[in-house]
Amino acid sequence: MANEERLGRKPLHVLEKIRENLERLNDKMEVMIELQKHGRKDIQLPLADAPLDVMTLLSMPDHLRKTAMTVCRVGRATADEVAEQTHRARAVESAYLNQLVIMGHLKKERKGRKAYFFVERETKE
Amino acid sequence: MARIIAVHSYKGGTGKTLLSVNLAATFAKRGKKVCLFDLDFRAPSLATLLKVEKSDHWLNDYLNGTCEIDKVLIDLSSKVDSIGKLFVGLANPATEAIRDMSGKDRKWEMRALGRLLALRDSLLTDMHFDYLIFDTSPGLQYSSINAIVSADLVLVATTFDRSDVDGTKRMLRELYDLFEKKTEVVLNKVLDAAKSRKLEIEEKTKDIYQVPLLGVVPCFCDILRAEGGIVFAHEKPDHPFTRILNEMANEIEKT
Repeated sequence: MANEERLGRKPLHVLEKIRENLERLNDKMEVMIELQKHGRKDIQLPLADAPLDVMTLLSMPDHLRKTAMTVCRVGRATADEVAEQTHRARAVESAYLNQLVIMGHLKKERKGRKAYFFVERETKE
Repeated sequence: MARIIAVHSYKGGTGKTLLSVNLAATFAKRGKKVCLFDLDFRAPSLATLLKVEKSDHWLNDYLNGTCEIDKVLIDLSSKVDSIGKLFVGLANPATEAIRDMSGKDRKWEMRALGRLLALRDSLLTDMHFDYLIFDTSPGLQYSSINAIVSADLVLVATTFDRSDVDGTKRMLRELYDLFEKKTEVVLNKVLDAAKSRKLEIEEKTKDIYQVPLLGVVPCFCDILRAEGGIVFAHEKPDHPFTRILNEMANEIEKT
């Protein structure tokens, strides 16, 4: 009985892993597409840890600061929600948000079909 | 509507604390629920100025994440005899605490910004405060920029001192503008601020800074004589400085 349960769970676990990996792949593809659209070919891997403090905000280019400030203020937002605040197009905000993720300043999390961007303030120490 | 106000300056001694305390008292006298925060962790002064001898929790603790904001707030409404409410959140003046705050890293400052931003929900929305006033440290300090980023309105206290004028101009361009903050100037310690010169002073200030002028405070000997021990808005209701504060409060209420 115990053996059957283990065997029954294994394929489920494998499928779950495949789904997670596909989602991660999807995120990366989306970033690449957004960056290519805006003329950036030097795709970098996300930086592990780059705190979004005020001095970092100050040194950012204006277009990214506006997006980063909005996420700071709202806490957690989709590209649509950021676009609503900045009065810029959703696609533009999506590119900037993904760029901020690549730079290590924001984190991205998928919930269903929506991607949420946020500042990870609590440490995992 | 400007409900979170950061009072900042380029140089020290321009009257930030005087302005913060008296504006907070002015709003409380008008029946508003106000909270004044000392964000000058390098040189805390509100504890002395408001004669608060001890506190169980400091603003430092809230920013460190070791207590919630309600533990930090001290009710001083009775001290200013107001219709409204005046609370304060104090910076710890102990040397060890000042040393501790000056050694914080970027990650800590990022979390501190998050906790300052969270005050909008906890104090304005949940606890129904009308105004939060941040008294800051001069220049480009982390705690001050965190306060500026969290605020709706930045009041810049400045004088006609040349290095102050130059520095303030730079900050307007390279700090407040970059964060797209609504900024107004309060000109302090003005010599010869007679009514006949009012227009000239206003035009000169607007010409220099290119932002609205909220108020002009003449150089009052009474303020120097008070040695920082008098809340004019409370103890000297007929003083010209109190009248100027009321005019500034009227303008802020309109925004």
